[in-house]
Amino acid sequence: MVLEIRNLSKHFGGLKVVDDLSFGVARGERLALIGPNGAGKTTVFNLITGVYPADSGSILLEQSDITGLPSRYRIRRGLARTFQNIRLMAHLTVIENVMIAQYARAPGATAMLQPVGFGRANRWRAEARAALAEAGLDAYADAAAGTLAYGIQKRVELVRALAASPSVLLLDEPAAGLNPAETEALHQALEAIARRGVTLVVVEHDMQFVGRLCSRVVVLNFGCKIAECAAGEIHADARVREAYLGSEELA
Amino acid sequence: MSGYLESVLVLLAINAILAYAAFLPMVAGQLNLGVAAFVAIGAYSAGYCSNSFSVHPVPAALAGTAVAGAIGWLVAFPILRTRGIYLALATFALNQMVQGTILNLDVVGGASGYPVPAHIGFAVVAAFSLAVILLVFLAFRTRFGISVTAVSDDERVADLMGLSVRGLQSAAFTAGAALAGLAGALYAHHFNYIEAQNYGVLFSIYIVLYVLLGGTQTVYGPLLGAAVFTLLPELLRGSAAWRYVIFACLIIAIMSLRPQGVILKRAWFSK
Amino acid sequence: MLEQQVVNGLMLGSVYALVAVAFTLAIGVLNFLNFSIPGLFMVAGMLTWFFLKTGIPWPLAAVLAVASGGLLSLLVERFTYRLMSRSEHFVPLVTSMAFLILFENLVLIVWGSDLQRVPLPFESVSFKLGPTVVAVPQLVGLACAVLAVAFLDLLLKKTRIGRGLRTIAEDAETATMLGVGVGRVVPVVFLVGGLFTALSGFLFALNYQQASPFMGEEVALKGIAAMVVGGMGNIWGAILGGLLIGVAETFSIHWFGARAVDIGVYGLLLAILFVRPTGLLGGAMRQARM
Repeated sequence: MVLEIRNLSKHFGGLKVVDDLSFGVARGERLALIGPNGAGKTTVFNLITGVYPADSGSILLEQSDITGLPSRYRIRRGLARTFQNIRLMAHLTVIENVMIAQYARAPGATAMLQPVGFGRANRWRAEARAALAEAGLDAYADAAAGTLAYGIQKRVELVRALAASPSVLLLDEPAAGLNPAETEALHQALEAIARRGVTLVVVEHDMQFVGRLCSRVVVLNFGCKIAECAAGEIHADARVREAYLGSEELA
Repeated sequence: MSGYLESVLVLLAINAILAYAAFLPMVAGQLNLGVAAFVAIGAYSAGYCSNSFSVHPVPAALAGTAVAGAIGWLVAFPILRTRGIYLALATFALNQMVQGTILNLDVVGGASGYPVPAHIGFAVVAAFSLAVILLVFLAFRTRFGISVTAVSDDERVADLMGLSVRGLQSAAFTAGAALAGLAGALYAHHFNYIEAQNYGVLFSIYIVLYVLLGGTQTVYGPLLGAAVFTLLPELLRGSAAWRYVIFACLIIAIMSLRPQGVILKRAWFSK
Repeated sequence: MLEQQVVNGLMLGSVYALVAVAFTLAIGVLNFLNFSIPGLFMVAGMLTWFFLKTGIPWPLAAVLAVASGGLLSLLVERFTYRLMSRSEHFVPLVTSMAFLILFENLVLIVWGSDLQRVPLPFESVSFKLGPTVVAVPQLVGLACAVLAVAFLDLLLKKTRIGRGLRTIAEDAETATMLGVGVGRVVPVVFLVGGLFTALSGFLFALNYQQASPFMGEEVALKGIAAMVVGGMGNIWGAILGGLLIGVAETFSIHWFGARAVDIGVYGLLLAILFVRPTGLLGGAMRQARM
């Protein structure tokens, strides 16, 4: 397994937000993490990426324990993510935002002092530009990230996460706020990424999207895992239906 | 070159270095109101070197730079645990403490001022200034420039994207302190007299203000700010106090109309 | 001797306390560090000297000096907070710094840089309280400070304007949605702050019989330390902080000499920022954005 969560727990004050959670993700798999609002899905991502320290339990990436590892080292080991509320650097341009994540592949003081601003021949900039072109965002490369439309920003965030060459990509509600055309484009993009061997873990509410993209589903409610099954089977599971308080949510 | 023109150009050169001394922490999101303290540390330690150890003024100036940088690095550990306004206040407190300490050090003249006879001429000051400007321009053409801006934009995400937030913040703060020290050391050795009374928080405020006047979104902004601040009185004649009145009005006007400063940015690297 | 130091410290502290209240109001309600306050302090002090020197009776001089603080403060408001919402968040802080420079240099132009001696317009009366000597004008100053803050406290708790201020302190956006007349309430913060600061400047000039264009930097700036020590956003904290700083300063001078003052006072500020940034009484601080 490329990513494994064992007995992970986290509470804030008296509230247990993640409760003895365990699941694993196999290499190249597409796993969905679903559950009603407030089930703790984003908190799980925050724990995995090190935004919060876990109260107990462990997180293993490529079989090595990263539970105590500071965030910046986790992406350097191949764990990247996107955010529920877009978190681009507003004062940097799109291409600069993408280039930020390149550092994770080759960190260090000399890397920090590498010239990236000279001429078109610069390898890092060329690579970032090519990645943007592949995503169809070439035209926005020099625009300030904060000024762009929501859909564009979401796509930029994805390119940024990929610039770190991750082996595992965590996507927090990637389809939220997208219209059907954009959602389809997202699906195609994620399919392509998965085919390149990147493992995907997706938090989503859009069940159709999940059904098409993912092979397996872990269902959370109140911080606990209440079910784990193949994507096609979620509709049939009574506990899942109950968690969502009615089958309309899963339609 | 006439003596008058020369001293104006020397001041311009020194103010340019000061501008970047304030600019570097600001790009990292730190309002360093303690800039003046590091100028003083550089000035006094360089002066002490050349006075007491008969060191040639140029190595003395470098020593002053190193001392300011070292103290900046040490102080950064506790100071960078604070953020935003707390950081500004902590640097303000630091500034006043350093000034207060120097006023008590009779070995460097205390409140009476400190003469520094060893002289550094215009050419050397200009050379240092140009070197600093060049270094800063180069630095912002490296990954450092975008990384430091990323940290000030969104520290949490910068950390998640693999950047060493504390390392970058500390580097910016320390480099700013070192540059301030260099400026102080050069001033001490060119004008040959320094007074602790001049290094209060108001001096830091002047520097921060003219950097903001030029704009912090490009590498050119601080330079423009330093130029305006230095050359404005020469164009307007009048006393020093009038110069500052006009400067203050200019700041108020710019902040009302165009708070990003005079020079706006497209990107750290242009196409 | 110790008691005398404490008494002197409290007298000095009342000056700091009033300035600290002005700072803490701006921080607590508007999240804005108002660097123009030392400038207002200085202008009030210099005006006090000027009016008394030209023979104006001291009650009138007091009113004029205090009123000038209020008026200048409203001018500052026009160019700082009023512009904040539509710009970068550092604009008010920066503009307030520019006002400090403006006031200081205008005064330098008009009256020069000398330290001026303020003539005392009445016989200084003092009485003995046990072994200590208490000067009546200074005691009045202390009383003024405490009364002013008590009055402000009442204002904040019992009046509509006060409630409006507290709402804005909680959440400016919600306040606007709730119909709090932000445009009319915010100037009150500046006005009150300006009046308090000017009162402090007047009292300082009168009690210590000196005024200079640099008194803002030298005296009022310590009000920031007092504000932080007491707790940002807490007006009773400002009083406590001010008195503490006053006493600390007096003891510093007594034990270590006048030149060690800054190290002591700002060292205390630095210590508080590292150890307990919310201050002694805790502050009503929102997220610390500049």
